[in-house]
Amino acid sequence: MSGRHTGQQHSHTVEGTDPQLHVEVHEPKNDAGLRPVLLLHGFSSSAKLNWEDTGWLAALLEAGRRVITVDLPGHGRSGAPEDMDSYSPSRIRADLLQIAFDAGARPLRDGDSSSGLDVIGYSLGSRLAWEFGATQHELVHRLVLGGPNTADPLAEFDLLAAQRYLADGTPIADESTAGLLKMAQLLPSNNIFALLSLVEAIKGEPFDPAEAVPHVPMLLVAGENDERSATLPDLAAIGSKAGAMVEQLILPGRNHTNAITSRAFKQGAISFLAV
Amino acid sequence: MAEISFPLPDLGEGLIEATVLEWLVSPGEQVERNQPLVEVETTKSAVELPSPQAGKVVRIHGGPGDKINVGEPLIVFEVPDNTAGIVGTVPTEEAPKRRVRLSAVLDED
Repeated sequence: MSGRHTGQQHSHTVEGTDPQLHVEVHEPKNDAGLRPVLLLHGFSSSAKLNWEDTGWLAALLEAGRRVITVDLPGHGRSGAPEDMDSYSPSRIRADLLQIAFDAGARPLRDGDSSSGLDVIGYSLGSRLAWEFGATQHELVHRLVLGGPNTADPLAEFDLLAAQRYLADGTPIADESTAGLLKMAQLLPSNNIFALLSLVEAIKGEPFDPAEAVPHVPMLLVAGENDERSATLPDLAAIGSKAGAMVEQLILPGRNHTNAITSRAFKQGAISFLAV
Repeated sequence: MAEISFPLPDLGEGLIEATVLEWLVSPGEQVERNQPLVEVETTKSAVELPSPQAGKVVRIHGGPGDKINVGEPLIVFEVPDNTAGIVGTVPTEEAPKRRVRLSAVLDED
């Protein structure tokens, strides 16, 4: 189905330390000649869970797209560095830029549909994609943001309550925190302490979508019953106000967990990026 | 022609059931190997199950919202007799694989 190359971990030093990120580049059988697509997964997920098992990778390859996947720090097959800085959104964005260039992405050139980079994010990955698109306007061509939010649920995560719960089982009062931690613990492959480092780093750099707005065309997608993405129209308004072309796609009957496999989502994204 | 039934595969990590989100094929349809068949959701995540083989869909089990237990019938294909014979020779005990895949119920020929 797909060619796959690049090795264990991304080892290109960006800021003096190795980010230990696991990167894969997937080549389509019939290349459509379009720019590569970078996929950014959500909190407590991985490239495999978010994009492979859900059918996204196969669908994009089938559409002739070259696909770059990366596991966020502490997730999937990436390392779980000790230092907090490795988990900060700004550091992750710097690493993503290096990964994109290492995988062959080139700055946008007028009239060259193989230049630039398309980015698809889900949940936390959408937050990173929004900021990446806003800061890397010479590279990013279009964005697809799934399960997005104007605020970052992780920034309101009750870290102390989570640590107490992990230490002695004290129940967590905050519903969102309890839900996120439960989700993180469901997967034995998760490094729970690395995930909490990521939460702490995000609390230090909470999402402020109005601070830097991407000016590229964006497709915002969420399940109709996605309580974590109720602010999608507000995010769309922020983008439109800044002059970006923003499309919205709501998936009937879907929620934050099961919107991701939706064919309507995949087909919407593939056609939105096929220009 | 022969029929091959595929049960809901073991989705790993101790999961015993899944809920059907949406069927991507319908009875009577000819499908290719690896073509997406169905989206299902477990307590942990949503996944898309690719077809383990080519064939004509005879029956699908469970509509959107229905729970199916691991090992219960999910889909039945009609395949040429010789194909069914080849599938029938695959040993039932397979090494655990990370990738979720359907495998045939072999005693229903």
